Amino acid sequence: MSQRYARQSFLGPNAQETFNNCRVAIIGLGGGGSHIVQQLTHIGIGNFLIYDADQVEDSNLNRLVGATREDVGLKTPKAVVATRLIRSVIPNASITPVPKKWQESAELLRGSDVVFGCVDSFSERQQIETTARRYMIPYIDIGMDVHDLGTQFAVSGQVILSMPGELCMKCMGFLREDLLAREAENYDVAGSRPQVIWPNGVLASLAVGIFVQLMTPWNKNYRRVWYLEYDGNLQTVATSNRLEYLKEKKCNHFLSVEDLGDPF
Amino acid sequence: MRVLFKIMDRLLEQVRLDLLRPHAFAAERVGFLVCGVAKLAPSGTVILAHSFRPVEDTDYVDDPTVGAMMGPGAIRKALEFALNNKVGMFHVHMHDHSGRTRFSLIDARESARFVPDFWNVRPGIPHGAAVLSRNSAFGMCWHPAVPVPIEIDEFVVVGSPMFFTRNSP
Repeated sequence: MSQRYARQSFLGPNAQETFNNCRVAIIGLGGGGSHIVQQLTHIGIGNFLIYDADQVEDSNLNRLVGATREDVGLKTPKAVVATRLIRSVIPNASITPVPKKWQESAELLRGSDVVFGCVDSFSERQQIETTARRYMIPYIDIGMDVHDLGTQFAVSGQVILSMPGELCMKCMGFLREDLLAREAENYDVAGSRPQVIWPNGVLASLAVGIFVQLMTPWNKNYRRVWYLEYDGNLQTVATSNRLEYLKEKKCNHFLSVEDLGDPF
Repeated sequence: MRVLFKIMDRLLEQVRLDLLRPHAFAAERVGFLVCGVAKLAPSGTVILAHSFRPVEDTDYVDDPTVGAMMGPGAIRKALEFALNNKVGMFHVHMHDHSGRTRFSLIDARESARFVPDFWNVRPGIPHGAAVLSRNSAFGMCWHPAVPVPIEIDEFVVVGSPMFFTRNSP
């Protein structure tokens, strides 16, 4: 084993081979996704599929890992920033950068082993989850928000593992029709939302921790569903209470064989 | 062409338990995995196992020269299912040992006999056959775009933890 990974050898004798062979997709390479790219790179992931249609802007530099002032001037695509970051650590990694909306090249996702979603909207999360279920891909979603409570701001976020066959984000109450409808109504007035680097780092680290446990189960905590809630004011992370009430529930979405694979 | 086969860990466990049940006279059991199918970019196919249809006890033929011999009823029921559903059908049985496994000569011969019949009822979709061991798998895919059956390159057991069996580099 390379000395590079000697300090993570407790993950198992085949861990590096597994990491090197596995194919990871990351949708969204902004505040959250750039952290995930960075961590997966250092872990030794060998195959990346990375999506982001945006270019680096000055307002990204408060949180976009790997981006520089020069990238602002050059309008470097975020997918290029992520590629550069990966290559700086693993020159021979297989990287498929897609500098456009993931829906325009969704067919590339099908061969992924895990997909990370680092997107802003509920509707996009719903699309990713539906696609991931169709191709039997575990989906790890992260997201953060800053709410103005009037007297102070509240920073919160979540990390969810949506495992095919298990509770989906609708079952968990995270994706709700009323939220989707409200989001659709406000589509044109969304504006720019507050984002800061440290909650993204916390959430990305939790997501990568879930991923590592899936790929190389170094501890006996074989959880099939994760729904972690982050309170950025108290600096705490806890399993969502919702899971407690859903222990006996089975997902009744995505059940039919017609929900799998290409529609014929 | 790369062929990837995915199955949920719970379904795989159900299949293994079913296939290990004793039969009155057959030395092993067989069944069919009902599968969705998708194209892989740039070239390939992913087979997505949805459910398992075990061959019924009464549909085995007593043939001591083989581990299990399906009677005409077993094949007919599987063909009917494929006729009525837009699915790929993958015959499955188990070699009860650990580690890598392959088809026996009989497995290869019998699969080549009946798998192409699925194209008579459900053309244009890959069908195939697979053999499981306790912790690995091997399979062949009859793909409409390829003139000869091709090995399944990789089995992915989707669950917690994930499990990968790669049969090709």
